[in-house]
Amino acid sequence: MYCPLKNGDGAEVVISYVAGTLDAETDSEFQRHMGTCPKCRDAVAAQEALWSALDAWGPVPVSPDFDYKLFRRIAEEERGQWWRSLAWPQWWWRPAMPVAAACALLAGAFLLRHPAPTISQEAQTQPKLEIEQVEHALDDMDLLRQLGVEAISDKASPSEKI
Amino acid sequence: MVRVRDGDQASFGLLLEKHRSPVVHFLHRMVHNRAVAEELAQEVFLRVYRSRENYEPTAKFTTWLFRIAMHLGLNWIRDGRNEKFHDRLDDETSDGASKQVPDRSRTVELELVYQAKLREVRQAIESLPSKQRAAVMLHKYEELEYTQIANVLSCSESAVKSLLYRAYESLRTRLAHMA
Repeated sequence: MYCPLKNGDGAEVVISYVAGTLDAETDSEFQRHMGTCPKCRDAVAAQEALWSALDAWGPVPVSPDFDYKLFRRIAEEERGQWWRSLAWPQWWWRPAMPVAAACALLAGAFLLRHPAPTISQEAQTQPKLEIEQVEHALDDMDLLRQLGVEAISDKASPSEKI
Repeated sequence: MVRVRDGDQASFGLLLEKHRSPVVHFLHRMVHNRAVAEELAQEVFLRVYRSRENYEPTAKFTTWLFRIAMHLGLNWIRDGRNEKFHDRLDDETSDGASKQVPDRSRTVELELVYQAKLREVRQAIESLPSKQRAAVMLHKYEELEYTQIANVLSCSESAVKSLLYRAYESLRTRLAHMA
């Protein structure tokens, strides 16, 4: 095998060899080469020492309630989506908007052509006149009543008059 | 994931079982805070769940998963909140337990040595540029292939190899005394 370090791709071969990701054929070939190449042996030893040092940084334990919290977040999100679809139902608002706009235009046009009837001045003053007429009528009735009483007393006996 | 897309909710549970720990570990190594890492990991799976109906198996699921995780992690770091939320190795949690689970087979002396070594490794990785750091974490800790890493980092395979070469060279120099 040619020397990977002399050929320029030595770093990749050394890294892959130490990581254990070389294919079987290349792996055994490189092992044979290391038997005759001290530079490659030193490079591998240095990388293996680094690999071992990096192994010191082990994994931290995951909280036992990790899954529970995740599924709770998923459930909350799905509940929120359900409420949002109720409050703002997107499945029908889009076709409804132009229909609502058309209805508003029609209503506006109708109102312009047929404005609402207004109350006339006569109608506004009519209740006042009626009240005055009633008052006059009552006054007349009083007067008539008084006149009726005097007429009756005029017809009374002369002796009563003396 | 295809079964989840087709409505099989139980398959989502299986996905979670398989990928929960790697995603949390990856994010923890990025953000250095366990609570934040778990929160971000939940956001990753939430986004996976939201996208289930549109999922197309054009690439490996883990590639997609770690791409989401990496973006969330990088966004969190860029927000500048990493300083005050870093877990310090010498801090204790609210219940008095230390951050790293101690190996009870180690003596106190060995435990101190281990913690010092761990601190150095974390600081060395932290000192790498963000893309090199991500490449190392995906390659070393998540054992992704070059093509997968390239997809996650949105770069070419040769760029990934170059990133890893420079990253490992820096780390070898910095951690040479640990050999």
